Amino acid sequence: MIKKIKASTLEKVIFIFLILLGIVTFTSYIVIKNECLFIKDYNKPNNINFKNPNNIAILSAPCGNVIIELYPEISPNGVERIKTLIRSNAYENIAFHRVIKNKLIQAGDLEFGKKGSLDYGKIGTGKSGLGTIKSEIDNNFNYTKGSVGLARTFKNDTEDSQFFIILQDEPLFEGEYTPVGKVLYGLEILKKIKDQRHSEYILRPDFINSFKMLNQ
Amino acid sequence: MNLLRAILLLIIFITPVKANTIYNIIKIPNLEIYEINTKNKLKYFYATAPFRLGIQKNIVCSNPNKKDLEIKYQTIYKNLSRYSYDYLKKINLKYIVMCENLSISELYTAGIPDNVMKTLILDIKFNEDYFERVIHHEVFHMIYLQYREIFNDKEWIEFNNTNFEYAKCSTCTKNIGLEKYLKTKGFFTEYSKSTASEDMAEVYSHMIYLEKNEIDQIRKLDPILNNKISYIKSRIKQIDSSFTF
Repeated sequence: MIKKIKASTLEKVIFIFLILLGIVTFTSYIVIKNECLFIKDYNKPNNINFKNPNNIAILSAPCGNVIIELYPEISPNGVERIKTLIRSNAYENIAFHRVIKNKLIQAGDLEFGKKGSLDYGKIGTGKSGLGTIKSEIDNNFNYTKGSVGLARTFKNDTEDSQFFIILQDEPLFEGEYTPVGKVLYGLEILKKIKDQRHSEYILRPDFINSFKMLNQ
Repeated sequence: MNLLRAILLLIIFITPVKANTIYNIIKIPNLEIYEINTKNKLKYFYATAPFRLGIQKNIVCSNPNKKDLEIKYQTIYKNLSRYSYDYLKKINLKYIVMCENLSISELYTAGIPDNVMKTLILDIKFNEDYFERVIHHEVFHMIYLQYREIFNDKEWIEFNNTNFEYAKCSTCTKNIGLEKYLKTKGFFTEYSKSTASEDMAEVYSHMIYLEKNEIDQIRKLDPILNNKISYIKSRIKQIDSSFTF
């Protein structure tokens, strides 16, 4: 005859605790793995009304769309260069190769930053093939959080295809780098781009999915 | 080859993140902003700790105390405010670094110009008597470095008497007096006699610092300095036609 054994209160508590632990572990695994979970994605930019739709560019990053307004009146040549490269889909699958957490992200090395043919030894030094353009740094521009500028070497007039977006105000950038626009929506998406703790340059970086003009 | 690649990758990926924007822009450590909202857009920094620069780390400067800094900043600001944004842009001067006991290879100096980084380092503890004028002397060195092609040392040397020779370098002489001669005889100061470029810088700084009538008087009495002043004037006009002394 089998005796029915009743679970003690302690055993019941342990059982419930184990079930709760399992649920917490499972959900946290999903939450932790999906770093984009609570990020607002502007995946329907066409539903937003823009003042200058012809100057709106959509940068698709791993966690969603970043909407950027370009300022041709401030830097006509710089914006023209960016637009030319965007329209030719040159930025597709290009690495965010330089990331300083909560400060700056940089991308646009078309020569050495392409997915599949990434060259870690040379990344950041590549060219677009279109030549360099002159720095446009004379107009007043406040480098506030979300500003987009063209990267260059130590010398002026060496801007090409690389650009950066700042994640905090950088007043010293004014007059130093050519400004091309500002992020209107999606700064939090940029903050999720992969960075490296002890280096500005990223091993196995995130990539630009696409970069298109709104009216493209 | 693989080993080389591995070492290269290691160097790239252990590069420490230097998030300091000032360092990223002008490559001088331990600086903080003193004032960046100025009319002519000059940005003023000060050292918060001693720093060393150069390939051999032979440029050394210390952090100044706050009180000295407050006083000297006013003087530096007043003197540099006479230069317009356009002029500064042409001569490639944008950043002023203020520190104390500036030396290069253990020789004390008033300032170190770096036209590539658009930076002028100034020693705020430099000789009180000549401090204001020396600011312009150092500004001239920025100009000289930026426009090396228009300042011709050989042409300049010909203004002097034929039997005069400059020292081999600005630190190769013990004659470094900065006091203005009462009778100039072709040179404003003893230090003018060190090298052609130092002589040019002395002429420029006196042209900025002295009253116009004083300069006019010197021009009348000293034909050599008259030629030198005309030379500097014409070259500066070439750089910026709107500049007035």
